[in-house]
Amino acid sequence: MSSKTVRETSANNSRAWQQLPLQYAGMAIALIVLVTVFSLRSKTFFSAATFTTIANSIPDLTIVAVGMTFVLIVGGIDLSVGSVLALASSIFAILLTDRHWPIWGAGITAVLCAGVCGWINGFVSAQYRIPAFIVTLGMLEIARGGAYLVTNSETKYIGSSIEWATEPIANLAVSPAFLFAVLVVLAGQWMLHRTVLGRMAVAIGTNAETVRMSGIRTLPTLLSIYTLCGALCGIAALIQTSRLSTADPNSGAGLELAAIAACVIGGTSLRGGSGSVINTFFGVLIVSVLQSGLAQMGASDPMKRIVTGLVIIFAVLVDSLRNNQR
Amino acid sequence: MTPTPPLHRKRRLSTMQLPRWATNGAMALSVLLLTIGCDSPSESTKRNAPGTGSASATGPASATGSASATGSASASGEAGAKSSQPATDKPKIALVMKSLANEFFSTMAEGAKKHQSENTAKYELVVNGIKDERDLARQSALVDEMVAAGAKAIVIAPADSKALIPALRRAKKAGVVVVNIDNKLDEDVLKQEKVSIPFVGPNNFTGAKAVGDFLASKLQAGDQVALLEGIRTSFNATQRRLGFEQAMKEAKIEIVDSQSAQWEVNQANTIAASILNEHPNLKAILAANDSMALGAMAAIKAANKTEQVQVVGFDNISAVQQAIREGKILATADQHGDQLAVFGIEVAMQMLQNPNDDVSDRETPVDLITANELAKNP
Repeated sequence: MSSKTVRETSANNSRAWQQLPLQYAGMAIALIVLVTVFSLRSKTFFSAATFTTIANSIPDLTIVAVGMTFVLIVGGIDLSVGSVLALASSIFAILLTDRHWPIWGAGITAVLCAGVCGWINGFVSAQYRIPAFIVTLGMLEIARGGAYLVTNSETKYIGSSIEWATEPIANLAVSPAFLFAVLVVLAGQWMLHRTVLGRMAVAIGTNAETVRMSGIRTLPTLLSIYTLCGALCGIAALIQTSRLSTADPNSGAGLELAAIAACVIGGTSLRGGSGSVINTFFGVLIVSVLQSGLAQMGASDPMKRIVTGLVIIFAVLVDSLRNNQR
Repeated sequence: MTPTPPLHRKRRLSTMQLPRWATNGAMALSVLLLTIGCDSPSESTKRNAPGTGSASATGPASATGSASATGSASASGEAGAKSSQPATDKPKIALVMKSLANEFFSTMAEGAKKHQSENTAKYELVVNGIKDERDLARQSALVDEMVAAGAKAIVIAPADSKALIPALRRAKKAGVVVVNIDNKLDEDVLKQEKVSIPFVGPNNFTGAKAVGDFLASKLQAGDQVALLEGIRTSFNATQRRLGFEQAMKEAKIEIVDSQSAQWEVNQANTIAASILNEHPNLKAILAANDSMALGAMAAIKAANKTEQVQVVGFDNISAVQQAIREGKILATADQHGDQLAVFGIEVAMQMLQNPNDDVSDRETPVDLITANELAKNP
């Protein structure tokens, strides 16, 4: 054993230790830069009102993005999140208004239905080895159709009875939904790093064949992850319904791309095997701050989209450069 | 024993030397540059007015160095933007639109911008749209953001007649004047939420009825027609459908099919094609907007039925004007899209000046457009 090895090992150790906070530094810096730029560009941007508004408008996207992170980590993809959200939202509204169910009953049923959609995605893609892209694309249409079916293609107005969840708590400025979303993010990060399910998800995403050859069944993990993603869409649906006081069968169109963008900006690999729930949350924040800031500046519509697209590409580019360094 | 480097750590030459801070910095810098540059190219070509107070207008003003009105404005950067903005009492009016990718709404926005550039002393304007007609959650968030941005009035073309009401109620509660244009908010829900928001816009029912009547004059009783509806959740889609139906009913023309094509060209094209297959004797397709009329027109052409099947639309977009001149589309309705937002802004200004005035709904004109009309005003 040469002294060189010892030195290298200790260097590696200290490096790993240093990387712990640095893991989030890139995202945080990008976020701070964005906020600074917008604050300088628009005199009204840097205000409590702006940040409260952003905080209270992101819980649904955050929760969907957490589910998406896990699906991406196992090497899958879920294109159906927006439609499943619309379906859950529609079911919730119909049970509440037409059937006069209590809120908790309607809410639980909606989340369960969304979970079932996720389970079907997972079962069909994992059991029959069909690409998740195709299966969830099918579910995207099925759930959207279901949403139109249950609502009869009408927007269902519910009223203020459910608004408490997304209204800012007095003296705190943020809504219960935001606090819940933060809780989901923390729980997700914990699950990813500290539970068997989380580690298994990373293992499957890294090399599913190896996991299988090691004599471990991948189906239960995949089913859990897809069901979780579906159920999270259901919860996001409740939050969105509360925020709009309405269930709209058209809602959530394009949500899958927003969620995937947030994950990817946060460094989750589309090839599976790596990702961080907290960085996904940063991804959501970056997208939302960008959206809100450009809107306040009154940037023209084409520019908004071009800038958003460039930020997504740059984020992934930088992340890939960083990964090559390691 | 010599340590061998791990196999999986392939390093690329190009990125090997870059330290972490450099890549982080590169990202930060690129975001910064992008954001700073983002509004200048498009805005500066459109607006030559010197430094108005609005955040969007300071970009081009400082970039072109024409902000002489404020004297102290420096030609570079954000410091100039801040110092060149004295506290003005000009109200900021936020125009919240639907998809600006739709020509109808972009025309509306352009009309509003033109009006603002002629009235720079009176108000500031911030225009925002959503990426497609169904993105309610984003439009609702936009309303909140505009309140946070200090807008004194919000003029909105709601993507949904019901879903936007809670956000607008919050805005009103924060003391912001709200005016509804284009798509009327649902009256029952407004009552339930105990808010009153004036609607400034055309009567879509009478507009669609006029188009339907004109079409009926070219058809015979008992002929078969089909409807392409807009998104069924929106009020103007319903009104236009009812207007078409009324006209057809009065002329005793049979509606054999009525489907929603979500206001979109592509969907209208697919749906119209299948309707044409299903009903070989179809004489006309009534589309609730011009985009769908164009989609139907293409389907008719593909089915080689241009002589047999007529198309009417609604909105009078420029592509359809061309089609009307060529005789491919029979008629459309002009609700003076470029003026709609301006009407809304004028009402908002009036409400800002006289907060106690009770402003009721205001109807704006809708005109029937046919080949004759277009020949008169080339």
